[in-house]
Amino acid sequence: MKEIIALSTKTITLERNEYLKVKGSIDCNVYYIESGTLRIFISDDYEEQIIRFGYKENLIAALDSFLTGKPSELYIQAIKKSTIKVIMKPQIDAFLQVDANRNLWIKILEDLVLQQMEREIDILTNSPRERYERVFRRSPQLFQEVPNRHIANYLRMSPETFSRLKKC
Amino acid sequence: MQTEKLIQSLLEQVRQIINQAETIKNYDLRTLTWKENETSWNMLECLEHLNLYGDFYLPQIENKIKSSRFKPTPEFKSGYLGNYFAKSMLPKAKLNKMKTFKDKNPLNEKLDKTVIDRFISQQIKLLELLNQSRNVSLDKVRIPTSISNLIKLKLGDTFQFFINHIIRHLQQVDRIKAAMKKEGTRVADLQHAL
Repeated sequence: MKEIIALSTKTITLERNEYLKVKGSIDCNVYYIESGTLRIFISDDYEEQIIRFGYKENLIAALDSFLTGKPSELYIQAIKKSTIKVIMKPQIDAFLQVDANRNLWIKILEDLVLQQMEREIDILTNSPRERYERVFRRSPQLFQEVPNRHIANYLRMSPETFSRLKKC
Repeated sequence: MQTEKLIQSLLEQVRQIINQAETIKNYDLRTLTWKENETSWNMLECLEHLNLYGDFYLPQIENKIKSSRFKPTPEFKSGYLGNYFAKSMLPKAKLNKMKTFKDKNPLNEKLDKTVIDRFISQQIKLLELLNQSRNVSLDKVRIPTSISNLIKLKLGDTFQFFINHIIRHLQQVDRIKAAMKKEGTRVADLQHAL
């Protein structure tokens, strides 16, 4: 991953609650989180639903925009002050001209597919308790870095249910 | 201008507006209500002024988008009046003062931090409307202005005008901040002299 981070020529800082990306924008960048935490969510007129979190040393992107060049529904917002390195699509494209790099890239994408599958199972798991435990086992980090109300939203349960599950 | 390019640039402007509002939200109440003199606005009054315009335009835009049957077009061309209005809103290097309509003047109202929350939710709403506007013609849908029902602007021009108006007053907030800082130094100097 170091090779990809090294491509970045731009660093941005976001204060808490500031947006990296808003709904409808075309954003073909990949972002490396040097420090801080971000949330990726969708929103309609009625509510927000968190899809993923990004932590220190993660790569994040509006993957739909990145792959298609089209507008993406996703919002990306800092939930803590964050420092982010920007890697632009043309930089990645140039990087992928080299065969060895392409293998690395495939590894990253494969890993992402696995993460997405885990997340899909999370969401489709019926019991709130099981959803809670799956995520707790997989990323205990989440429970230290992210405010409860965001975790509850991510787990698709009310903050009350979440705090009840957390106690026992 | 390509319609999608226009929408992209407007979305980016709104993103920056929200981020600026988040910064303002961290200021203490003393800063938010400080004013240079009795007739000038404090920061909360600037934002409330914008909220009053939002209360007028956002529902108008929403209704017109919902009821429109005009299909989207790949190109957008500013109208003569719309372009003039939008441009006139942008602050010039030398400040061009403007008159405020009475019903949009929040001077000396009792305001608190909820003004900022209301402002941010209006911006989220605006993002929503910019996204929905992809389904209609920015050119053919026309929005009545707050000046008169008879003066209507193209939806594309209304968005630009509305957003430029916000940018104008957020720059005013920056100026208030600077003026406050300047006065703060003056007071400190005075205390030091005493």
